[in-house]
Formats: sequence, structure tokens, C-alpha cells
Amino acid sequence: MAETSEARPSASAPGGDAGGEEDKHDERMLECNICLDTARDAVVSMCGHLFCWPCLHQWLETRPSRQVCPVCKAAISRDKVIPLYGRGNTKQEDPRNKVPPRPAGQRTEPENNSGFPGFGFGEGFHMSFGIGAFPFGVFTSTFNFGDPRPSAAPRGTAQYEEEQFLSKIFLWVAILFVLWLIFA
Amino acid sequence: MANIASKRIKREFKEIMKSEEVAGGAIRLQLVNDNWTELKGEIAGPSDTPYEGGTFVLEIKVPETYPFNPPKIRFVTKIWHPNVSSVTGAICLDILKDQWAAALTLRTVLLSLQALLSAAEPNDPQDAVVAKQFRENPHLFNLTARHWTNVYAGGPNAIWEFNQKVQRLLDMGIDEHQARVALSTYDWELERATEQLFS
Ligand SMILES: [Zn+2]
Ligand SMILES: [Zn+2]
Repeated sequence: MAETSEARPSASAPGGDAGGEEDKHDERMLECNICLDTARDAVVSMCGHLFCWPCLHQWLETRPSRQVCPVCKAAISRDKVIPLYGRGNTKQEDPRNKVPPRPAGQRTEPENNSGFPGFGFGEGFHMSFGIGAFPFGVFTSTFNFGDPRPSAAPRGTAQYEEEQFLSKIFLWVAILFVLWLIFA
Repeated sequence: MANIASKRIKREFKEIMKSEEVAGGAIRLQLVNDNWTELKGEIAGPSDTPYEGGTFVLEIKVPETYPFNPPKIRFVTKIWHPNVSSVTGAICLDILKDQWAAALTLRTVLLSLQALLSAAEPNDPQDAVVAKQFRENPHLFNLTARHWTNVYAGGPNAIWEFNQKVQRLLDMGIDEHQARVALSTYDWELERATEQLFS
């Protein structure tokens, strides 16, 4: 089968505007893989490919028996695409399109959030890691333990000491949890 | 024509014109009509194949449902290849049928067709006669494909012996292409070809 990688214009013309080239390149990264236009109502597949939702929807409708990514032919389904919400782009899509609205984003509440008051560490403990199965770092989970939160109890009291102790325990639990995630 | 189809073809056309394959002469693309529904493609025969030195013209019809359905493509230039009909130019290539994907472009399709000339797939033939010769008599297949490339695609390698045999049938009043098909089909055995033509 032929090599199907996209050829990109390599160097800008002599005396050309290098910045302009770069901008174009950046724009291409946000192009829908079906209409080749800037993706509108953008969704991204689990394999990391970007589409307009109306375009991808039509592709899935055209071949109901063969639901594959139009780029890499990985399995794909309407339930497993993730909408991308840019800034200031919260409008619903054009009602003229007879396309069902994009599948909603699935928002999972972070665990261990509200149950632990006084979860602030003095120094701030901040780490993030990506889940290796997803390319392009699109789906990077951030576990943030560093939000400095006001302690409920004033410094020096027994309750304050207790909280300090508890937060140390939580720190170790968090570290063990992360180690478990990495090595399990 | 549906808006998305013509918009996409226009965009593809612009990009293909800037591509290194066009610059290198490997592929070409031309508009046939103003509403972007028909184009003319050209691919250069890959080197180290019987198609080397030939230029193969393709008819490209863009359906209204493009890119959700593949473009309809056939060889206009006559070609001797297991996956192309020697009669109609119809192509058997999976990405032009059930393996089509909406992110494929005319550029990638033209390059795939060029790759098909380098690596035939005789197990999925379009032309059973050619495929049989390809499997059973590869040497003769090569010569025949080279001959067709010379005659129809401007390839540089004339096969003198084959030209002579075609001429013999021409002298009998047989149409040139018909004569060539018969001879190619019957492994260039003049008698069998003649027999078939007059039967
Ligand atoms: Zn699109
Ligand atoms: Zn994909």
C-alpha cells in the first residue's frame, strides 16, 4: 500500500515570512480530517484524530457496518469520541444541520475531594501524569494535591497538630497510590 | 454538487499542486470541468517495473457524497496489469471500494495506484486473463506489460517481436487493439490468437 503520510511544505521560501508558515502549520493541526477545514464542533477520537462532529457523524452514518476512524481505521463509535470545547465557543451548533448534537463530555468527579478537609500541605505537593495509552497527550490527567487550602484550625492548637499529622498520612497514601498506579 | 465535496476537492487540488510528487513529476492532476466533479489524473510508471517510462492517464469522477464515498477512478491509458481490466480500465483496489476512508485524498489515492503498479495483487484480480499470465508466466507477463506501456503509455521499450506479430494480424484486416489483446491473451502464439479472432 502506498505511503500515505502527509507531505508538508518544509522550508519557507527565501525571504518569506517564517512566522506565517508556522501559523499555517498550526492551523493545519486543527483541521478536520474529513472536510480539511478548521474543525467546527470539534471532536477527537480515542485514537487521537480530530474531526468536525457533523463530518464524523456523516462518516459513521455512511458505513454503519464498518465503524472505523477515517484516518487510521481504528475502531470508533459515537460514544467514544470526546468533544473539544475551546474558549468562548459554547454556542450550540447550527440548527440547520440535521445532525444530532455532539455527544456530551463525560465529566467524572475527582475522588477523595470533599471528604478530607485540611488537605493542604505546607510545601504543596503537585504532580501530573499522562495515561500512556493515549497519544498526543490529549488526555492528560492531573492529580493536583497542591492547592493551598486554609486550615480549619488555628496554628498551635491540638486540632492543628492533628491535621498536620493527618495530612502527612494523606501524603504517604497519595504517594503509595501513585506508585501503585505506575507499577501495577 | 454537495458543498463539502467541491470545497474539499478545491482544497485538495491546491495542496496537490504544491506537493513534492507533482514537483517531481510522479503524479499530475488536471481539472476536466468547472464544477469540480471530474478530473484527469496522471501517474508515472514506477521504475524497475514494466511500466517504467510510461505515463498513465486516469479518469477521476468525484461523487456528490465525496469524501464519504470514494472517487470513481479508471485507467484511460490501456494497461496490462492483473488488477486493471485490459478492456475497460476498471481498477480493483480495496481503498477505492470497501476500504475507502474519508481522510484519504486524491493525492494518496494516486500514490496508492502508483504503488499498485509496483506491487500487483494477483490474488484479488480485476482481469483474470492477465492475473493468470502474471502467476504462470511472469517473464511473458513482464514483456507484455512492457509492450503495452510502450504502445499506449509512451514507454521507451519497444518489443520488436510483438510488434511484428501485431502487424501480421493488422495485415489480415484486424483492428490493432483487438489484435494486441488476442495475442497478449494467448501468450503471443500467433496461431491461437488468429484462431480465436476468426472463430
Ligand atoms: Zn469537517
Ligand atoms: Zn484514528
